[in-house]
Amino acid sequence: MDPECSQLLPALCAVLADPRQPVADDTCLEKLLDWFKTIADAGSSLLLLQENPCLVTLLCPVLKPQDLSPRVLAFLLRLAGILAAQEDCFQHLQQGDLLPRLFGEAGPLGGAAWTAPTVRSGWIQGLCSLTQHPSALCFLAHSGAVDTIFSLQGDSSLFVASAAGQLLVHILGLSMQAPAEGHPSLQPAHWPACAQKIVGHIEESLRATATPQVTQALNVLTTMFSHCHDPWTQVLWVHLSPLVACLLEKDPVPAAHSLVDLLLSVARSPVLSSSSCGLWDTLAQTLSRLRASQAGPLALGILKLQECPKALRAQAFAVLLQPLTCVLEATTQAPGLPGSSGPGLQCGVAAIGPVASSEACAGRGGDPTDGELPLAWPPGSVGGTADAPLTAGMLLPSKAACVGLLCQTLAHLELLQPLPQRPSPWPWAPLLSAAVTILRLCNGSATPTSDTGTHLCAFLAGCVRVQRAALDFLGTLSQGTGPQELVTQVFAILLEYLTSPDSSPTVLKKAFQATLQWLQSSPKPSGGGDLEPHAQLFLRELLPVLPKRLCSPCWDVRDSGLEFLTQTVRRWGGQAGFRHALLASEVPELTEQLLRDPESYVRASAVAAMGQLSSRGLHIIPASPGHPGAQQKSLLEELLHILSTDSEGFPRRAVMQVFTQWLRDSHADVAADTEHFVARVLRVASQDLDWEVRAQGLELALVFLEQTLGQPSSSCPYAMTPPAAAPPSLVAQALQPFCRVQLFDFAFRALFDCDRPVAQKSCDLLLFLRAKTASYSDQQGSSSGPDVASLEAALQRWQAGDQGQPLGDLEPEAVVAVLRSLDLEGLRGALAESSDHAEQSPLSLLQDMLATAGILGENEADCY
Amino acid sequence: MPEIRVTPLGAGQDVGRSCILVSIGGKNVMLDCGMHMGFNDDRRFPDFSYITRNGRLTDFLDCVIISHFHLDHCGALPYFSEMVGYDGPIYMTHPTQAICPILLEDYRKIAVDKKGEANFFTSQMIKDCMKKVVAVHLHQTVQVDDELEIKAYYAGHVLGAAMFQIKVGSESVVYTGDYNMTPDRHLGAAWIDKCRPNLLITESTYATTIRDSKRCRERDFLKKVHEAVERGGKVLIPVFALGRAQELCILLETFWERMNLKAPIYFSTGLTEKANHYYKLFITWTNQKIRKTFVQRNMFEFKHIKAFDRAFADNPGPMVVFATPGMLHAGQSLQIFRKWAGNEKNMVIMPGYCVQGTVGHKILSGQRKLEMEGRQVLEVKMQVEYMSFSAHADAKGIMQLVGQAEPENVLLVHGEAKKMEFLKQKIEQEFRVNCYMPANGETVTLPTSPSIPVGISLGLLKREMAQGLLPDAKKPRLLHGTLIMKDSNFRLVSSEQALKELGLAEHQLRFTCRVHLHDPRKEQETALRVYSHLKSVLKDHCVQHLPDGSVTVESILIQAAAHSEDPGTKVLLVSWTYQDEELGSYLTSLLKKGLPQGAT
Repeated sequence: MDPECSQLLPALCAVLADPRQPVADDTCLEKLLDWFKTIADAGSSLLLLQENPCLVTLLCPVLKPQDLSPRVLAFLLRLAGILAAQEDCFQHLQQGDLLPRLFGEAGPLGGAAWTAPTVRSGWIQGLCSLTQHPSALCFLAHSGAVDTIFSLQGDSSLFVASAAGQLLVHILGLSMQAPAEGHPSLQPAHWPACAQKIVGHIEESLRATATPQVTQALNVLTTMFSHCHDPWTQVLWVHLSPLVACLLEKDPVPAAHSLVDLLLSVARSPVLSSSSCGLWDTLAQTLSRLRASQAGPLALGILKLQECPKALRAQAFAVLLQPLTCVLEATTQAPGLPGSSGPGLQCGVAAIGPVASSEACAGRGGDPTDGELPLAWPPGSVGGTADAPLTAGMLLPSKAACVGLLCQTLAHLELLQPLPQRPSPWPWAPLLSAAVTILRLCNGSATPTSDTGTHLCAFLAGCVRVQRAALDFLGTLSQGTGPQELVTQVFAILLEYLTSPDSSPTVLKKAFQATLQWLQSSPKPSGGGDLEPHAQLFLRELLPVLPKRLCSPCWDVRDSGLEFLTQTVRRWGGQAGFRHALLASEVPELTEQLLRDPESYVRASAVAAMGQLSSRGLHIIPASPGHPGAQQKSLLEELLHILSTDSEGFPRRAVMQVFTQWLRDSHADVAADTEHFVARVLRVASQDLDWEVRAQGLELALVFLEQTLGQPSSSCPYAMTPPAAAPPSLVAQALQPFCRVQLFDFAFRALFDCDRPVAQKSCDLLLFLRAKTASYSDQQGSSSGPDVASLEAALQRWQAGDQGQPLGDLEPEAVVAVLRSLDLEGLRGALAESSDHAEQSPLSLLQDMLATAGILGENEADCY
Repeated sequence: MPEIRVTPLGAGQDVGRSCILVSIGGKNVMLDCGMHMGFNDDRRFPDFSYITRNGRLTDFLDCVIISHFHLDHCGALPYFSEMVGYDGPIYMTHPTQAICPILLEDYRKIAVDKKGEANFFTSQMIKDCMKKVVAVHLHQTVQVDDELEIKAYYAGHVLGAAMFQIKVGSESVVYTGDYNMTPDRHLGAAWIDKCRPNLLITESTYATTIRDSKRCRERDFLKKVHEAVERGGKVLIPVFALGRAQELCILLETFWERMNLKAPIYFSTGLTEKANHYYKLFITWTNQKIRKTFVQRNMFEFKHIKAFDRAFADNPGPMVVFATPGMLHAGQSLQIFRKWAGNEKNMVIMPGYCVQGTVGHKILSGQRKLEMEGRQVLEVKMQVEYMSFSAHADAKGIMQLVGQAEPENVLLVHGEAKKMEFLKQKIEQEFRVNCYMPANGETVTLPTSPSIPVGISLGLLKREMAQGLLPDAKKPRLLHGTLIMKDSNFRLVSSEQALKELGLAEHQLRFTCRVHLHDPRKEQETALRVYSHLKSVLKDHCVQHLPDGSVTVESILIQAAAHSEDPGTKVLLVSWTYQDEELGSYLTSLLKKGLPQGAT
């Protein structure tokens, strides 16, 4: 421990032990514990106690818990736990009989202080910390703490109950570590007494009729199988699985959610994967016993497993697909439902899931337990073939249930699709068909005639939640392939959503995202070059719609429209068909108008879009022959105007990004006079109040440096890198442009910027420059001269916080000399630390706590 | 039994990181999603793992409601929606929607600036999060879905702050967020109607305090600033970008105008313009005085307050500077503080609370030698003042609100346990309702009466309408009908329709009354006398004397019988159906008066 901290500790302990001196800020005790934990982890806790006897004295007031505030009491319990985690320190505290008095009956346990959840939580966390060695286990066994932990599993506080469960797992794991040398006994009856007690308690809870008790037991087991993969866990599962299986016989199945978590954690455990232990049967049985909404997460979990019997996977996939099957079944009865004539739907619902094999289409199914998964029809997912045929009524009993289940299913499938272990082949076409059908049901364009279909229509019409989930899923489906007719339907429904005045802003955003995904995945025609005709046609239809969105009264719609435009231009801005359609539309003109939007987010997106349009030469309205390029110039001016005048940071930052990109891409407008461009931008950016704009200014400066001098490790034949033995005049010549654009003034001043990232950026830039001019510096021994002196004086002023006047014209030689004299590495090291590291240090914490103790009450926490 | 469950993940016996989960009528709502500025690690956010363990967040939560733009109420929102993965709707008022991203952005910039935190939400995430927001108007009932509805009420406190009523069927909860029951310089007082919720969740920051007049604090503030400026000193007021800063700006602007002061007032980072824009845009949210004077002069167009330039800090002479951030923990305000701290003529006024780990906290706790970077020590000679301008309801205000809303139960959040305990007792005594104060992670469960929806038949409604009374939400009136349960549904129908639908026959119900008449004559003669009397009185009714000696008036039957003990008295048995209840009662009262002497 730092001697300065050690000096302050007795005073602080005295404050903490004094009930009349409450601690002002509730974060202080947490931070103090963090510090003690760091010290204990790094060295001997016993030594810490011996060197700081005040800590033992501090722990003594716990003997009169009624005098202490609950949070100080909780702090002391946690502190004792941290210290007693090391066995020698544990023994030391035991000798003083301190631990039983802290954690046993004589302590806060059962007293008035125990009613405070924070004390119960502190008690558990303290025990959790100290339970690290066999002595701790003996202590727990003798103190009766385990029984208290059992009761705390049902605590009114979620935090306490959850921590109690975790502590039980921790104790069980530790007690099983001792006899773990060699194979664990096959009979838990031969396990250590502490382990037996916990297992007995779990068994009892699993047999209980009250659901909360069952839930507690299942949660403890889930935590255990998730975190502990020792061989004895397999024995435990063999022992407990019959009890778990018994839960499935109850109606309804109790604690279904926790049961699913447990079964999946067992299935994921590497110890149990080699042997089924009846697990697969239990999983299969659970799948069939649970309600659709409960079975969904289990099915997803099973399908995510690396190893699993094919039959179980088939069953799980069928369960996952049930709601979509149901939707298609209900809607395909309706003649004229869009999509019903598509190839994916010719065999109706039979096509979903296991892909359209003739067997599946015939609905015969076959035995799902043999053969490849996709060829088998899971029993129960299609009417007629299963023991318990599925009806729409069972799956969709009410609007809330229907919406919830569909959203869950779509999200599960979205999660599953990118995984390598997803069922193969993946039924792209029927899933696409289902997603499109759901979207049609939601926007009312489906006209089903069956009762169930009508019911579904009523449930889903205008349902934003389902629309969002379906659009997300539809976007993910773009990664695969589907029949052309279905793809046509996808673009059609997306266009409907993008066009519809009823689409909510959040739905529109998702529709734009899905559209982009589909466009990006469109295959390029064999000839290469242009967009696939289908997507091109779609874009042509979309472009007249886009202006409406860009004129929307909702800022988020305008913004989503602009973001979409930026992406599409970036991707297809070079393709003739798209360019033609875009230039024929009002989009470029409207985008330009949005540079003056009242909403700053929109202005920033408009800046990005205009930057992209300009890069692609797409914002030019044919200019008069006498003034070619007049429009581009005006855009540059407009962006500079935004950079210097916009009251908000987003647009200014967007301008800086565009400018940096333009510089990188050698945009025609920039390339015409790069130096002039850089000078103008840096002049404005360096004065900006937003540090991110200043940092971006330095980024642009770095790009300029790199372009002029070459990349640090590049060997660009055209770069003006001063050679190793370059004569001074060449180096000076190379640095002259930077002096002309006032880059050094900006960079040196930024080195002492009050905002750390700006200083860091400047440091990096100057280090790069120094590396480039190192050889020259070596040759030039002199670091004197009037320029050098004035620059150094200015640097000192800036470091002291003065802003002062600009430096004026600098000589490259002076810059090189100052670069060499500056301790840039040291500065970079200092900047790597958090700017508030001094205030956040342990010493500062102790000082603050001591300083606050006297003045509490004057400065109370209210709000920020 | 239906129930309402409330679990604070933050703000339970605690100030900071407000986040309260409410389950009502099978719907799950998160109230506020705040962060704790006292931590620099994950502990700054509420522990959302307690929600994610219930499955997918978007499936579990029906909506998130944000009461106002302070970071302890909305600071974790982008993290929750863009990093933890909540993709559902977020509700807040229009001003909160406008201002929230500014403060989140400010906070992000400070966090990144300070530490270069990489694992932090980005500007794009803030924007994407704000796109999930559905803005609401005051008193507008918003349907989150078919069953869940919410309604915002004015809360004062800061621009756009609102209390929210959350309703599912007949069950409702009101969440106050932070509120102020007394108007201040630019905002009005909180107000809610007598909505009688099952539960009122109220903040209790000043649970035991009766706050002194704000005027006194304002006077003190102005006096101190004035004194400092008069002696040629510079005054630094660290603030967060929006909110309290505007109140103090109005205060200084008015004072400068009145006193004709010349010292410049600056506001850093150019946020005044933005703030002005929003205060102008949401003028209806400010108090009456500001709205009234708006036509002549916009209070938010400051004549004396100018945008700050970094070079101004070195200017000689007095000045007042508002600079962000508010706790002197980074950026501009800290830089100016370092520059001015050494001069005893200068002054720093901290208008709000500062968490540990900031320079603000240090100087407020009286520390005058601060260790800066590189072991340098900064001696603070400037005057340090603390003035809380936070606008919370005090104990009196909280009681007033409970009285206004008339809740069945009260739950206290956003306060310290000890103070809550005192207020809890007070509320329970005065209002005779249960009051709860759960700690973070503790669940309070309240059983509620089941809500049973009842349909009404068109026939019954038409009949009601035929009486000429138009429906009026403000004047509820009774509607009589028969409640029938069929296929697990309740319906109110006319009795005829009920009989028809249920296949039941109507039971005849007759009322009988005995009237004693002093008449020594025979029963037949008494009956005849009754007939004659009624015939003469009830000219519009059909009165008959039947052969068996009984008399009928419409459906009413009257029979005379001898008294078993007194031969001079006759007993008249009057019986009628319930349809003729009125006439039956009339006849009984008529006969009780006796027969006229002349009647034969």
